[in-house]
Amino acid sequence: MEITLREDANVTTLSLKGRLDLATGSALKEQIIQLFEKEKTTIHLNLGEVEFINSSGLGSLVSIMKEIRLRKGRLTLSNLASYVQEIFEITQLSHIFEIFATEEEALNSYQAVTAS
Amino acid sequence: MSNVIDRIGQLLAQLQSPDFYEREEAVKELGMYSEDETVAGLVLALEDSDLGIRELAADRLGQMKGEIVSQLLIRFLSHGDIGTRNLAAEILVRIGRPAVPPLIEAIDNDDHDVRKFVVDVLGLIKDDAAVEPLCGRLSDENPNVVCSAAEALGEIGSSRAITPLVAAYDGTEDVRLQAVEALGKIGDPSALDTLFGYLKSDDPLILYAVIEAIGSIGLKDSVSSLRKYLDHKDPTIAEAALTAIINISIKHGGKIDCDLPLDRFTGFLFGGIKNRDKNITEFTLNRLTHWYGQGIVKSLLEVLDFVDEVTLKRVSEVLGEVGPSAAELILEKFAGASSGTKLVLLDIIKQFIDDDMAQKLEAFADDPDPEVRQKVAYTLGMAGYAGAVPTLKKLAVDEVGHVRAAAFGALGWLCSEEEADFLFMGLQDKYPDVREAAMGALVIVSGPRVVAKFTADLYHQEAERQRLAVTALGLIGETEVVDPLIKAINHPEASVRKSAINALARIAEVPNVQPLILALNDENSGVRKAAIAALIAVRGEQAVPEIRFLLDDEDVWVRYHTISSIGDLGLDKFSDYLIPYLEDEQDILKIAATKALAQMGCKRALPELKKLRREKNKDIVEAAEIAVSSLERGRR
Repeated sequence: MEITLREDANVTTLSLKGRLDLATGSALKEQIIQLFEKEKTTIHLNLGEVEFINSSGLGSLVSIMKEIRLRKGRLTLSNLASYVQEIFEITQLSHIFEIFATEEEALNSYQAVTAS
Repeated sequence: MSNVIDRIGQLLAQLQSPDFYEREEAVKELGMYSEDETVAGLVLALEDSDLGIRELAADRLGQMKGEIVSQLLIRFLSHGDIGTRNLAAEILVRIGRPAVPPLIEAIDNDDHDVRKFVVDVLGLIKDDAAVEPLCGRLSDENPNVVCSAAEALGEIGSSRAITPLVAAYDGTEDVRLQAVEALGKIGDPSALDTLFGYLKSDDPLILYAVIEAIGSIGLKDSVSSLRKYLDHKDPTIAEAALTAIINISIKHGGKIDCDLPLDRFTGFLFGGIKNRDKNITEFTLNRLTHWYGQGIVKSLLEVLDFVDEVTLKRVSEVLGEVGPSAAELILEKFAGASSGTKLVLLDIIKQFIDDDMAQKLEAFADDPDPEVRQKVAYTLGMAGYAGAVPTLKKLAVDEVGHVRAAAFGALGWLCSEEEADFLFMGLQDKYPDVREAAMGALVIVSGPRVVAKFTADLYHQEAERQRLAVTALGLIGETEVVDPLIKAINHPEASVRKSAINALARIAEVPNVQPLILALNDENSGVRKAAIAALIAVRGEQAVPEIRFLLDDEDVWVRYHTISSIGDLGLDKFSDYLIPYLEDEQDILKIAATKALAQMGCKRALPELKKLRREKNKDIVEAAEIAVSSLERGRR
């Protein structure tokens, strides 16, 4: 899986491409832990090019979510393909993740919170 | 023409009929004529004994918009019946600008009541042409007319009225309040110096109005003059000063470069939010990020039941940012709140819930409202607090289905594989959404025991359990599910075979493709289609020779799917397989081949595709147009 990272003032965006499974999920978690070390705890994941996700991949996302909550940060997701969206609905993970249709909407939500 | 006049005459006579319906018909028909005589008739109908007839006549007159109508109506401003006077005034307002000249003519009427009505109506019409005549009435002998004239000038908002209003303020005590209010409504900063002078007034009503007027004019420099009134001994004056400063602040995008003693006005500001005052709400919420303490949190919690949805979202965000320091107060509020407020509070809590708070929230898992119990379940799951598992297990056997579904969802996020047996019990629930939720939880929990149990369930006696098992194995998607899914390609149930193949297509890492190749010959067309997609997903272009024979399948949709799947590869080298389908007898296959060949960049197909643009079926024509255009531009 390819991970592209972009750091903005309010939020760090990671765009994922490929398969999110045990190996790639662990790699993603590693990368996010490195961000924690830089005190970056507001993170957006663009899943637009994630073509496959299995239970280990979901587990990684849940684990990342827990870590971010512990650090009082915020995690958002966007651009879920219909298949990934379906998995989030079935597992009800759509209730715990903040999911946006587009990256732009997600990033705007960070600006709105900062402004208010 | 004479027929029309005769008819109007009949209708005017009909207006005297004792029968309501006859009079009503007469008014309706009179309204359709434009002759002057009809106006007289409708005006007369304003005196009808029935309110419905009077309003109908008023409506018709209001649509006529003529000076004659207005002149006739002005006569009614001195009518003995107050209802008729008001109705005439209302129609004149509706007539608007055309009524202004006759109203100005009547502004010097001998009857002061008529003068007052005229002035009021002119104020409501808000026509600039009335400014000077109204200024003339500021020296009327009747104080009611003077006050109405000042109010009307405020409504019109012309700066030409400033000097006469100031003169009226200085000359007549009775008009001071209205004059000041009018200066505020006019909003011209040139009146500010005068208004600052009026701040010396001993009359609290005048002082209140002057402060309000300065706020309405909205000049940023006025804030320093208003600020000292925040300390006024009369709280009404102090609150008026704050309201004026708020209005100025809103006008300048919240920037007033001045510290305000807001703590003293907490009750007033949050009262404003409760009363849905737009400016006070915006001002107060904008300041909350750097102005909160326990008192503010309490006040914020108090307004939750009163505000609109947009404000509620803002308040929730602010409380979410305040975070755990507000937790105790929020839980305190939760205990006695309505169900609606509890749901809002849970939305706030979920933004920062930790183990400690989750532990306290467990006490509300037996709330009488199922919606609250459902949200408590989700919130406990979100907290990631493993200690909540026993509470969630209780909620998973709740009497309400959607509470059970939420509890299973939350258990999936919190449990380990040790709880798999409990989660599997959810697959037997009578409601499908609970079964799906339990299955979803098991997908997240996953692990060898879960996979083994779902593999066994593939051959469960109940078809639903088979469906859930194959779906779950597909979603788990780990290496260990590939083998059971491959075996399921030979399952007796076609739906299970199809789901297994679809799951393998997603997993894509299938070591043995032979069962998939065999599935291309499955008796069920849905399974054959799934097998095509799976082979393409697993083997890419190498699958084409294997699936090619399905271009001649007995089922047109299998043929369609094969064409589309080959097209999706986008490789021109397979074009020859598809070109013949541009002449197929089935339109749907012509369309599929057209789209596929365009994707493959097959320029050799251009002559055939151009011919398709002359087909009768507009869907074929449209697909051909797009394909030709794409190929001619050399794009795929």
